[in-house]
Amino acid sequence: MDPNQLSALQIDALREVGSIGAGHAATALSQMLGKSVAIDVPRIALIPVTEVPGVLGGPERLVGAIHSRLLGDIEGSIVFIAARDDLLALVDMLRSREPGSTKSLHGDEEALAIHAASILIAAYVAAIARMADISLLPSPSSFAFDMLGAILEVVTAEIGMKVDSALLILTRFIEEDRSIDAGLFYLPDPDSLDVLLGRLGII
Amino acid sequence: MSMADEDAVFVGTGEFAVATHPKVLVTPALGSCIGVTLYDPFRHMGGLAHVMLPSPADTVTTGSLCRFASHAVPALAERLSEGGARHRLVAKLTGGASMFKGDTHFAGIGDRNAEEVRRQLALLRIPVLAEDTGGSHARTVELHLDTGLVLVRSYLYGMKEL
Repeated sequence: MDPNQLSALQIDALREVGSIGAGHAATALSQMLGKSVAIDVPRIALIPVTEVPGVLGGPERLVGAIHSRLLGDIEGSIVFIAARDDLLALVDMLRSREPGSTKSLHGDEEALAIHAASILIAAYVAAIARMADISLLPSPSSFAFDMLGAILEVVTAEIGMKVDSALLILTRFIEEDRSIDAGLFYLPDPDSLDVLLGRLGII
Repeated sequence: MSMADEDAVFVGTGEFAVATHPKVLVTPALGSCIGVTLYDPFRHMGGLAHVMLPSPADTVTTGSLCRFASHAVPALAERLSEGGARHRLVAKLTGGASMFKGDTHFAGIGDRNAEEVRRQLALLRIPVLAEDTGGSHARTVELHLDTGLVLVRSYLYGMKEL
């Protein structure tokens, strides 16, 4: 599927997926933390997989990634990726610490980051499933902290390199005066993407 | 980095390239993929392949066969074998990590890639001089063609020479 071929209806439907998912994730995160965290989606776009490293600063950029496989009516992978400093800042925000306090990801911080990303993944997967009227579930998530290119390579090799497009949901966590950006990438295999866009196009 | 940027030849995922000194072959961010370097010390010439999967049996997709160890390794050796050079070729292997903690699904890919590369090299009777494979960290790899030195950079271990 050529990203430029998307119809206005499909683009609207993707935006809707983004805002429904973000809304549900923000509610869930706020409940978990006992404070109000908002989530914005400044950008949602279907981009070629080869452009993903560029969005996040190149293949050697140090990032944290939380990955789930998608199970159900359509197949693919969904992966939350944040640059190292953004992931540390996210932990600061979630823990109500001063910005810059978290210096590394140890057991607790890593678990918290995985937890927050998993909520986001579950919320977007639920939004996609609902918009397209299909059954879709994320597998338990796994964590990696290293070069962006190496992480993407593993994710795409695992789904047999069938993936050519990624749905980028740029996600912004906002609490009072601070905000942190992270990327959520949904990597469907081409058959699944056609099914999904077909469903979204006729809503 | 020691080399001038104009001397770097970048090899993308699922590709291979051949070059001669003073060029330096580079592939960034190997994860479960394998960086296979072949070097001919006599001509100061070598090649680097960035292979993703063991063989086409591991996927249903079509596309470049250079992504597979079963194709890329013999093809790279062939490119470097003009004039009976094959018996001089030596190999070094890097990559083949398992990047994700807590996922059994990904775990085998790196190991299977390394195994297939070693099998192909054995069939071609090309000796493996050194390996930096496995583990759970990403690697950026350079092949320097004056000496056949392989430099491996990672966030975990810094710079390593093979």
